[in-house]
Amino acid sequence: MKSLRQIRFLLDKDLRIELRKKESLVSMAFFGALILVMLNISSGIGRQVDAETGAGILWVAIIFSSVLGLGRVFSREKENGCVAALLISPVTPGEIFVAKTLVNFTLMLLSELVLVPVFYVLFGAQLSFSLLTLLPVLLLVNLGFSTTGTLISAISAGTRRNEVLLPILLFPLILPLTALAVKATAATMAAKPFAELLPQLEPMFAFCVIFSAVGYLLFPFTIRED
Amino acid sequence: MSALNRSTIFPGLSALLISAAIGMVFFYAPLEKTMGSVQKIFYFHLPLALTAFLSFFVAFISGIMYLRSRKRIWDARLASSVEIGVVLTTLVLITGSLWGKPIWNTYWTWDPRLTTSLILWFIFASCLILRSAVDDEGKRATYSAVLAIVGFIDVPIVFLSARLWRSIHPTVIRADSIGLEFSMLMTLLVCMAAMLAFWVGLYKFRVSLQLQEAEVNDLINQKR
Repeated sequence: MKSLRQIRFLLDKDLRIELRKKESLVSMAFFGALILVMLNISSGIGRQVDAETGAGILWVAIIFSSVLGLGRVFSREKENGCVAALLISPVTPGEIFVAKTLVNFTLMLLSELVLVPVFYVLFGAQLSFSLLTLLPVLLLVNLGFSTTGTLISAISAGTRRNEVLLPILLFPLILPLTALAVKATAATMAAKPFAELLPQLEPMFAFCVIFSAVGYLLFPFTIRED
Repeated sequence: MSALNRSTIFPGLSALLISAAIGMVFFYAPLEKTMGSVQKIFYFHLPLALTAFLSFFVAFISGIMYLRSRKRIWDARLASSVEIGVVLTTLVLITGSLWGKPIWNTYWTWDPRLTTSLILWFIFASCLILRSAVDDEGKRATYSAVLAIVGFIDVPIVFLSARLWRSIHPTVIRADSIGLEFSMLMTLLVCMAAMLAFWVGLYKFRVSLQLQEAEVNDLINQKR
């Protein structure tokens, strides 16, 4: 119970900072929309994309824009020496990991509220939209991306080249998740029933479970300052 | 004198074995019926792949051991095996592509094994980039240990998810039988022994070099 309260406290703190400064969320949504527009133009003006390509485009926009928000989660703490303050406060590193993951999860979900409609406006003329099948895919990717990303961003924030290293380290690790998500999303956009998505959703769920555990176990090592 | 002898055992052994392996590949092993001389690259491809996976396994174990003990030797082992693993995986990808072009009529395809090797290459090459970006020795060791562990855990997931596409990679060695002629098998075994001896020799050199480098850095820091 106590650790739930600690996590909620950390989450509140980060979301309040985000609400006041709006630096991550605005740039995530803006950059993602920009990618969608660029891909729309480069796929040929006035040409319709099929479900497979559309799913790929949507995920490129979401993943690339989410890295922006992810990079800020830890560099903001490092800049003012807040990591040391977090470490001497009575919260465990595991709780910090859960809180940061949830912050990133929320940011991704909020930016997707913008990106998915923009995607359908630009590309959706011939693609079907069903919230019931798309939502589980979005949630699973958000979770997998946030757990892996929180662990990796703690590493990259400790280096000299945070912004450059983060995607380099993160993208190879989440490649299976992205590939499965594209396949599942393509099925959604082709108006397939939910049962046909299960072969993709099950390994995605496994990915989330494995990397939540791995992140929770390894995170304390990356954040400790010797 | 004896130290010199010991450090030359594996390089000497691998020099012998590699020349024997090359001789066997070209003069002893028979020509494959359908693939012809192209098949001979397999004798190097498979040992390279095995030693590449061995390196990443060693890196994984070293990562765990470093996080448990915080001893410099485990970081040296991790760094050396990651370096060697990246080089070997590069060679695996190159030899595989050279074989794939005439046989599959393409350099690259998204087969589970190819995908897994490529992702492994990306993960561990990024580990090398990470190492070059951190100055502090303790931090560098911790970060690369974490990345080596996470990367190794990712491998089976990549392999299983890539299975959703079809597989066209030949499976020469199955659980129940080995689909190889006796002379081909002998050649393959010699090639594997050669590559293993080469791996051990290279690994030992790299580990001692890493340790010496760290000690030199200690001396420089002491002087300041």
